[in-house]
Amino acid sequence: MKEKIHKDVVIIGAGMAGLTAALYCGRMNLDTLVLENGIIGGQIANATDIENYPGFISVKGGDLIATLQQQAENFGAVIDEFDEIEKVTLKTSPKIVETQEKIYECDVVIIASGMNRRKLPLPEEKKFAGRGVHYCELCDGAAYNGKIIAVMGGGNAAVDAANFLTKYGQKVYLIHRSEFRADDFSQKRLRANKKVEIMLQTEIKALRGPKRLEEVEIFDKKSGETKNLHVDGIFVNIGVVPNTKLFEDELTLTASGRIPAGEDCKTEIEGVFVAGDVREKEIRQLTTAASDGTTAALLAEKYLSKLKG
Amino acid sequence: MVKVYTTATCPYCAKVKKYLKSKGVKFEEFDIEKDPAAREACKKLTGIDWAVPVTTIDNENYVIDYDKEALDKLLCL
Repeated sequence: MKEKIHKDVVIIGAGMAGLTAALYCGRMNLDTLVLENGIIGGQIANATDIENYPGFISVKGGDLIATLQQQAENFGAVIDEFDEIEKVTLKTSPKIVETQEKIYECDVVIIASGMNRRKLPLPEEKKFAGRGVHYCELCDGAAYNGKIIAVMGGGNAAVDAANFLTKYGQKVYLIHRSEFRADDFSQKRLRANKKVEIMLQTEIKALRGPKRLEEVEIFDKKSGETKNLHVDGIFVNIGVVPNTKLFEDELTLTASGRIPAGEDCKTEIEGVFVAGDVREKEIRQLTTAASDGTTAALLAEKYLSKLKG
Repeated sequence: MVKVYTTATCPYCAKVKKYLKSKGVKFEEFDIEKDPAAREACKKLTGIDWAVPVTTIDNENYVIDYDKEALDKLLCL
């Protein structure tokens, strides 16, 4: 039988939003637990150099998140990254978060579950996963020392991955089906690197190779031309999908799979807040994730004060 | 002895190592970026040119990535 434990606040997700909420909740002496099924830091755990987070000229995602984790823990928040969540029940009082090992009863839930990377939507993906198709440049980039690498995607994550991979590759292609979504600064740096060739308005149609990836079939949308390009490895950065499967039966989700809430981060259920990229909003940045975490924590404390009279 | 093949910058490697430590599992770590022999051994084990993290206890059965259920099964946790 699982042990039942009461917490003031359970935060689901230990990315920028969740850890910021944990830092604030901890400072307000709330009994706070953070549960993370994936990697602490979420998307930024993989970020090489972050240059748009105020107060830092440049900081590695892993370093920034380690500091934030330390801050949250210093103020008493407990982070568990191994006991995976199985089920949440949000409409009851108390709310229940059931993990593999425990049942947490809590008054407030802050959802900061973030996003997962989108997989390459080609039938050959499975055949070449780990054999030329990769999703983590920090993990697998070194395998391509002196080789030819392609990065698929056009957002900041893709451009940053391409910039990082020039450290290893003799040549790095950036292949994207439309125009850049990455900021101008990152684009300019990429364009200035002689190892890089940028192929916009270009789709990857197929992956080929007997055992491991050897070439990709690309379609140039402007010229209508199809050709094969030799690459040793491809790093996929084609966007993210909201990590909201756990909440499908509890909360209404938007068409994009996110959780609707205004700037106050309050969901349709009292005492349930949503923070970070998983909240439906126009701007999704590290700074806005930190802002959401702050707002959710402060309003959670107000809610708890009212609840406890 | 449990072996874990890693690279220094891989966040999933860090998670596997933290998990094994939390369970009191003693392991030996091999950085495949710095150690070509370890890279070859990992390649021979998995059949994949480059994969991290890889955990094995008998050089035959292995788990790629952080997969808690599979690690528990492999290491009888």
